[in-house]
Amino acid sequence: MDKKTVSTIAYLSRLSINEDNEEKITKDLENIIKFVDQLNAADTENIEPLASPLEKTAKTRSDNISAKNRKEVFLERSPKSNEDYFLVPRVVE
Amino acid sequence: MSIQYKSLTELKTMLNNNEISNTELIKETFSLIKSNAELNAFITLNEEESMNKANKLDNSPISESLAGIPIAQKDLFCTKDLKTTCGSNMLSNFIPPYSATVIKNLENAGCISVGKTNMDEFAMGSSNETSFYGNVQNPWGKNLVPGGSSGGAAAAVAAGIVPAASGTDTGGSIRQPASLCGITGIKPTYGRISRWGMIAFASSLDQAGPMARTAEDCALLLNEMCSHDDKDTTSLNEDVPNFLENLNSPIKGLKIGLVKEFDLSKLDNEVVKVFEESKKHYESLGAEFIEISLPNISLSVPTYYVVAPAECSSNLSRFDGVKFGKRCENPKNLEELYIKTRSEGFGDEVKRRILIGSYVLSAGFYDAYYKKAQQVRRLIKNDFDSAFKNVDIIMSPTTRGAAFEAGSKGDDPIQMYLEDLFTIPANLAGLPAISIPNGIIDNKPIGLQLIGNFLDESSLLQAAHNFQISTDWHLKTPTGIKS
Repeated sequence: MDKKTVSTIAYLSRLSINEDNEEKITKDLENIIKFVDQLNAADTENIEPLASPLEKTAKTRSDNISAKNRKEVFLERSPKSNEDYFLVPRVVE
Repeated sequence: MSIQYKSLTELKTMLNNNEISNTELIKETFSLIKSNAELNAFITLNEEESMNKANKLDNSPISESLAGIPIAQKDLFCTKDLKTTCGSNMLSNFIPPYSATVIKNLENAGCISVGKTNMDEFAMGSSNETSFYGNVQNPWGKNLVPGGSSGGAAAAVAAGIVPAASGTDTGGSIRQPASLCGITGIKPTYGRISRWGMIAFASSLDQAGPMARTAEDCALLLNEMCSHDDKDTTSLNEDVPNFLENLNSPIKGLKIGLVKEFDLSKLDNEVVKVFEESKKHYESLGAEFIEISLPNISLSVPTYYVVAPAECSSNLSRFDGVKFGKRCENPKNLEELYIKTRSEGFGDEVKRRILIGSYVLSAGFYDAYYKKAQQVRRLIKNDFDSAFKNVDIIMSPTTRGAAFEAGSKGDDPIQMYLEDLFTIPANLAGLPAISIPNGIIDNKPIGLQLIGNFLDESSLLQAAHNFQISTDWHLKTPTGIKS
């Protein structure tokens, strides 16, 4: 783990890291990664990954519309919106 | 008559016998909340609506099982028209347009949601020190942490302010604070309680559950909280048993597993002594102890710290300053809007976990970390499957020790992560687990953990209830709490 890797994953996470903190974060992340490296001790050959403790197939349901359109209720909670859309800074010049 | 420290069952009786009115009960609850404001257990109070509901109940009583019972809701559950912050600055202005299914279930059973409890930010922490709204004080001591992440919930119940609270448990967030505050808390089987309307941290681990004074009260609450929910694809489509039914059946012949790999010799003598005494007590109740082996259990914490951050980095990508929650001031462009909003809105621990998650999921590292951790997760689950062929439940301490002082874990995150050593395995395997008070060390409570087989909350509640009707650890209360 070096500063360059940290800045790459910070960008992937859409987070900025301020300079005062950079060293501490790099060190913390390095320690955490070292800690999880213990996993290498396990023999996992031919072991199927477990993504969820519930392996039963998700239940299917009939494809009917059950939700009501509550556009106004949700737009109301946006930091910035008009009557139809969430508003963000202009993307296309 | 004071309502402080009364169990839910006792309050129910008081209401039924008209020893107290619904309005008096709620009024008294808010008086306790306010006189103990320094605990900082609540982020938002719901006083006006609670009083209205109580008034309505007095005028037209209903027969629902939890009618009029005040309950504190963890601020991670969406509550319609009531601010829901998840302990974060990011959601400091968020008023959900709907309530979580579990909140609806509790309110349909007659509960009154009196307020939203303080918690570690986005449930990431084991001491309630990561909340944007300040530390919660453990009722057992001024500088002691209540545990986390459901720290406000545990403190409110331990101080006798409310008889019950909702919590969530991703790696121990119900059981660890229950242990440190001297109350009872159960994380049911993954999928028992709908996650719809719960603000997601790690979706394959998150599970809601009740926190209360007794196992009996937890059973009563679980009866109402559990349900199948079409809105949550991981919601179990299984019948929910009546959890009160077997509580009083004796546990003679119950086979309790002791995990060979949990090296208790590394713990303080006092902690070991408390554990040994509980073991003897269970023996006196007719339980039989069997040593079991969970060979991969020592890899639980490292597995968790790959899986949970990975899921967290994905879940928390929704906080982008566009649709709800906080947005930074005057962003120059869309990218700056995302980056500034997230950098200002999240605290250090949340950022740390997002970064770890992005790292283990990134190209070139996915197989080495994320896939590997999921493989080890299966090994851990397989270990439990084998163990439960020979035992009914598994017993361990809930925590490595009693409550510690705020700030005492220093700034090494791994020291805090190890706080959940005994609780994390049940989340990885999706198993139900309960913590019950089983001793006092230096005037601080500590808890005992029981882990059950898949869908077998009933055995846990039965074993816990049998313990509680023959001991009085769950009745101990802290001193210095205002009445």
